[in-house]
Amino acid sequence: MRCSTAVATLAIGLATAARAAAPAAHAAPAAPAGATADTCLSCHATLTDERLRKPAELAKSDIHLTQGITCAGCHGGDPAAADRAAAMDPRKGFVGVPAPRAIPELCGSCHSNAAYMLRYAPNIPTDQLSQYRTSKHGLALAKGSTDVAVCSSCHGAHGVRPPSDARSPVYPTRIVATCARCHADVALMNKYGIKGNEVAEYEKSVHYAALTQKNDLSAPTCKSCHGAHGATPPGVSSVANVCGTCHVIQLERFDQSPHKDAFAAIDQPACEACHSNHAIVHPQDSWIGVADKQVCAACHSAGDAGATAAGALSGALANAVAAEATVGARVARVKRAGMLMDAAEVKLQDAQQAYIMATVEIHTVTPARVEKQTAAAIADTVAADRDAAAAEREIRFRRTGLFISLAVIALAMVTLIFKIRSMER
Amino acid sequence: MSALDKLWQALDERLELEPIVEFIRHKVVPTHRHSWAYYFGGLTLFFFFVQVSTGILLLLYYRPTAEAAFESVQFIVTQVPFGWLVRSIHSWSANLMILSAFAHMFSVYFMGSYAKPRELTWWSGFALLGLAMGFGFSGYLLPWNTLSFFATQVGTDMVSKVPFAGAWLLKFLRGGSEVTGATLTRFFGFHVAVLPMLTSLLLGFHLALIQRQGMHVPASLEQESKRRKPIRFVPNFMMREGVVWLLGLAALAALAAFFPWDLGTKADPFGSAPAGIKPEWYFLFVFETLKLLPAHIFGIEGELIGLGAFAAGGLVWFLVPILDRGRPGGGRGRTFFVLGWLVLAYIVGFTFASFAGVFK
Repeated sequence: MRCSTAVATLAIGLATAARAAAPAAHAAPAAPAGATADTCLSCHATLTDERLRKPAELAKSDIHLTQGITCAGCHGGDPAAADRAAAMDPRKGFVGVPAPRAIPELCGSCHSNAAYMLRYAPNIPTDQLSQYRTSKHGLALAKGSTDVAVCSSCHGAHGVRPPSDARSPVYPTRIVATCARCHADVALMNKYGIKGNEVAEYEKSVHYAALTQKNDLSAPTCKSCHGAHGATPPGVSSVANVCGTCHVIQLERFDQSPHKDAFAAIDQPACEACHSNHAIVHPQDSWIGVADKQVCAACHSAGDAGATAAGALSGALANAVAAEATVGARVARVKRAGMLMDAAEVKLQDAQQAYIMATVEIHTVTPARVEKQTAAAIADTVAADRDAAAAEREIRFRRTGLFISLAVIALAMVTLIFKIRSMER
Repeated sequence: MSALDKLWQALDERLELEPIVEFIRHKVVPTHRHSWAYYFGGLTLFFFFVQVSTGILLLLYYRPTAEAAFESVQFIVTQVPFGWLVRSIHSWSANLMILSAFAHMFSVYFMGSYAKPRELTWWSGFALLGLAMGFGFSGYLLPWNTLSFFATQVGTDMVSKVPFAGAWLLKFLRGGSEVTGATLTRFFGFHVAVLPMLTSLLLGFHLALIQRQGMHVPASLEQESKRRKPIRFVPNFMMREGVVWLLGLAALAALAAFFPWDLGTKADPFGSAPAGIKPEWYFLFVFETLKLLPAHIFGIEGELIGLGAFAAGGLVWFLVPILDRGRPGGGRGRTFFVLGWLVLAYIVGFTFASFAGVFK
């Protein structure tokens, strides 16, 4: 019931519950003619009941009000009337608090009107309502559910800010918490066959870490995979397309692999099978194999062709990682000794790049393609190792030279001291 | 008569060299328990010679433009045979020269050697230390790395606080309103032309004064100095000085081999300043003091008051031969003796505290 509660809390509490269950088709409000006295705001701002006063306070930061669309735009009535009864006269279209079921149509009356929206925000889409109708939320609402999200559940009813505003509940860094208001409610979610642990799982993911720790606003949030207004879980067949929106090369490699048809045949979602869905953590090389807790073991077992390929893939990656670790440590040691190791570090970066490409080629599950990249990574580490060896020889040469120089200097000093002593004796 | 004698005779006839030889033959250096202090000036001179010779070698490859400076130093330390050694010695020697100059100045100060008739020696030495710091400040920018770029930005920014002429001075130093390639080019000009010319002139004057007036013996050591036999300048003192120079050379070689001077990363004028940015160690006491000052003191900018105080302090230090009237019974005034220790403790204390991260 949380969504409807949220709506009730956020919605303006102007009148009693006596209102139409669904208002008649709402016409888009006329464009503001100019600044006129708004008795809705002036009156509600003075009320002692916070439930009635709060909307007037929130409205000050509302994108609609700043554009000249007043309370009457949604609630009807006459904002110019000084008299309370005249201002909230149903004959003047006053509807009071819109019913949750009516909200999508109410918002859509303007937001689906391309000609009207052109005057205010020509760059935002006008298909939100049609998308919403296809969403799980919209479908459930149409079936009569009242505890599903409507526009105001996510955007707020008063004090609506554009999604690009960091204070908006649908801003990238806040949208997860907004979805969690309902989707972390296990009892509510179970009603719809959803576990209710999705947000908690997502918060363990690399995507959430990128969003919250690196402040990467392009990191995927709930809406990136499920859609915003047309929110729906991606089906088995479309999971790969959703992930592939960002992970383009990985998807391309997967499509070239024998897994593509094999997964489709057993109705196995592509990426999710190995990477999970919400709790997507950083992949580890140790996942590859058919041992206990290794991802290939879900379909393959020791001795089959898949297990053999997994062994080859895992071995190729392990060789590259080991070479990079050994040479990286040697280069770091030489650098600490004061040698300039820029060239070796560039080679190690190339090796790391080749290793990353190898982890991408893993999606082809073809050992030859992975080994080609790991061989390139190893070749780069060998080149860096040669630089480190040369630098070590140079250090030895410098220190030998230093000791010889110091010996010569010491000899000269001793000679001088003896000469001075013999002269001054 | 050998060919060498004939050559000498010919030169002597034309240049009258015999009086100079006589002067050198009879020149002596007094000995007492603090005569070790006489070697710091020579040691500073040694590091200056090292700077000149290694600087000329670096000039063969260094390119003073924002586009090529960093790469040319990188080329010197990686590709040029012994380039790493020359560059490292140049950097280490610069720091040791300043250190040695400070030691020389304080030893001269505490022995009261600035008093009449050696005022000109003190003043020229003071100016030489200023020039040495100018060498350090201008040379710091030349590798065009991140640290030097931002340190120069902070350092030159201080000049803008000078009343009336600040804006002009800033523009003159930077060659514009910001630190750019134009700043690098003019710092290079100061470093290899203007400062060496001024230093050579002043150094010649400073050395000539020392030769003319001889070494000063403090009043408290006069009796001891009279009891002990002085040493001849040539060859005894010069040979002792030679031992000190060899010691300096050994220190330079060891530092250059074990702690090659870091090159850092190329300066990015559009990048953000790295955390913990600091000037060279000999400017740290000024830098940290200015940082400690509040933004405004009695309505005047704190940094301006700080710089004014340093300028006033420097002026007092410069004028000490006039301000210190000495004690009635001979010797230097106690006030200035105590002041010297306070200044030394302040400089050393702030420098070490800065390295220890006390001001973070």
